[in-house]
Amino acid sequence: MSFYPGRVQEHFDAPRNAGELEGADATGEACSFACGAVVRISLKIDATRQTVTDAKFKTLGCGYLIACASVLTEAVKELALGRAATLSTDAITDWFGSLPPERMDCAALCREALHAALADYHSARLEEWTGDEALICTCFGVSENSIERAIHALALRTVEQVTRTCNAGGGCRSCHPLIEDILDDYWRARSARS
Amino acid sequence: MREQIVYLDNNATTRVAPEVFDAMRPYLEDLYGNPSSAHTFGREMRRSVESAREQVAQILGAGDASEIVFTSCGSESDNWAIRGVLELVPGKRHIVTTRVEHEAVRNFCERLEKNGYEVTWLEVDEDGGLDLEALGAALRPDTALVSAMLANNETGVLFPIEEIGRIVRDNSDALFHVDGVQAVGKIPISLRDANVDLFAISGHKFHAPKGIGALYVRKGLSLAPFIVGGGQEGGRRAGTESLPYIVGLGRACELARVDGDAEALRVRALRDRLEDTILASIPNARLNGAGDRARRLPNTSNISFEYVEGENILASLDAAGVCVSTGSACNAETHEASAVLRAMNVPYTAARGSIRFSLGRYNTESEIEYTLAILPGIIERLAQWSPYDEASGKRQV
Repeated sequence: MSFYPGRVQEHFDAPRNAGELEGADATGEACSFACGAVVRISLKIDATRQTVTDAKFKTLGCGYLIACASVLTEAVKELALGRAATLSTDAITDWFGSLPPERMDCAALCREALHAALADYHSARLEEWTGDEALICTCFGVSENSIERAIHALALRTVEQVTRTCNAGGGCRSCHPLIEDILDDYWRARSARS
Repeated sequence: MREQIVYLDNNATTRVAPEVFDAMRPYLEDLYGNPSSAHTFGREMRRSVESAREQVAQILGAGDASEIVFTSCGSESDNWAIRGVLELVPGKRHIVTTRVEHEAVRNFCERLEKNGYEVTWLEVDEDGGLDLEALGAALRPDTALVSAMLANNETGVLFPIEEIGRIVRDNSDALFHVDGVQAVGKIPISLRDANVDLFAISGHKFHAPKGIGALYVRKGLSLAPFIVGGGQEGGRRAGTESLPYIVGLGRACELARVDGDAEALRVRALRDRLEDTILASIPNARLNGAGDRARRLPNTSNISFEYVEGENILASLDAAGVCVSTGSACNAETHEASAVLRAMNVPYTAARGSIRFSLGRYNTESEIEYTLAILPGIIERLAQWSPYDEASGKRQV
């Protein structure tokens, strides 16, 4: 009889992608208020393909958390940033058949760490890129220009509308304040002109 | 079930001693009489109950066998002691206890607190030791009860119950209850010399079966029964006596009385070997509880492997056939780290990685060597996964 249920035990015995990722492009951490567990996810990202090329994790948490991080880091490899950012926790939990309700948090925590890593990548890119061609949404590779064009063409008023129109903001959500700024600037300029 | 396990979880429960099993067996077969029956068969059973009572009284150093009342478990004993005292002095609504008591006392006192009683929770220091000055200051004219454990189940830290008893007697009219569950069979106890009014014990912690306990009730103290019904146990605890288990408890006490001291020495040597080697050789290992071993049970080592998850250690040891327990939040039903370690101000990263090794009568040197052989590799493997950089660092000097 194994300590954890079969598929969880399998990943505890041989976790995929556990450890330090040398030369990571982005790192994100999440910590549970419920149980105090910590998980850190590091990513290597191909900037031209906008794709995750490698992922590793480190964690201080139960075997369920290790198994979830193991499955998640496998799942995001070779995923486009946008798809990685919109990965649902089901993608993790389905693999195990079912997790006990109190361990569903483990999967959610891993997803939170992934989002934090994507947000980390986002802020690093923002520092590098300047001018109109700055990528606002790094998850879906949407530039400030594209967002402004969409706002202008369809008279968009909210971040949600922007996301529905051009995907921007549909991933890790770290660019939502920036999209709001763009909306504000656009409509302020419009009302000043009229 | 595994063929062979290395059982280092003797504070959770112990194996029933073969001697105890042999003593009990006739009472599960031919000697099935009811000790309360008037016929000769029944009266013979009564004699067995009374002889077990003598055996329990002896191991506790009680003045009189009539001070022992059989119960179903340690929790019943603890609950009865507390409730019994409060019923005895209904006008007094203040209780003094500690932050590190077993749940049978802690959770019961928390419930009383919700029901209008006032509870003073005494703090412990980083070694798990009690602040005796704070105890003196906490006592009031309306203090009904002081409840403190003799040996802590998680750390093995001992409270000086004779000194506590003296302080309680000299400064108040409060009664003094001791949860002695983890101490019996491991260290000598002499209640006749201590100012202890009530003392709870549990059989399965020292090689009797689960389902039998006792409460020492100092002579002259008349507690109302917790379980009400027939007149068994002199009207103090209703319910037909569980004769096989009572006989088993008595035999376990006898076993501890005969070679308990020698066993404690042997177990202490094994424990010391385990503890010394781990602390000296595994990076980031730290002891929880008094470094002074005279202030701890001879069988218990609570060690934190800082920056590593205790549940992972437990699972890895489990796979290798070694049984231990952890204070990690992950493993607790409540998802909270051990209240005992929190009360001792153990850093969060260390409380998570805490492992309790509790040895017993049937552990051997080769089992300890086996555990010591596999443990460093387990910790090293898990440390590689730790998000804390300190985990891979060298041991701090």
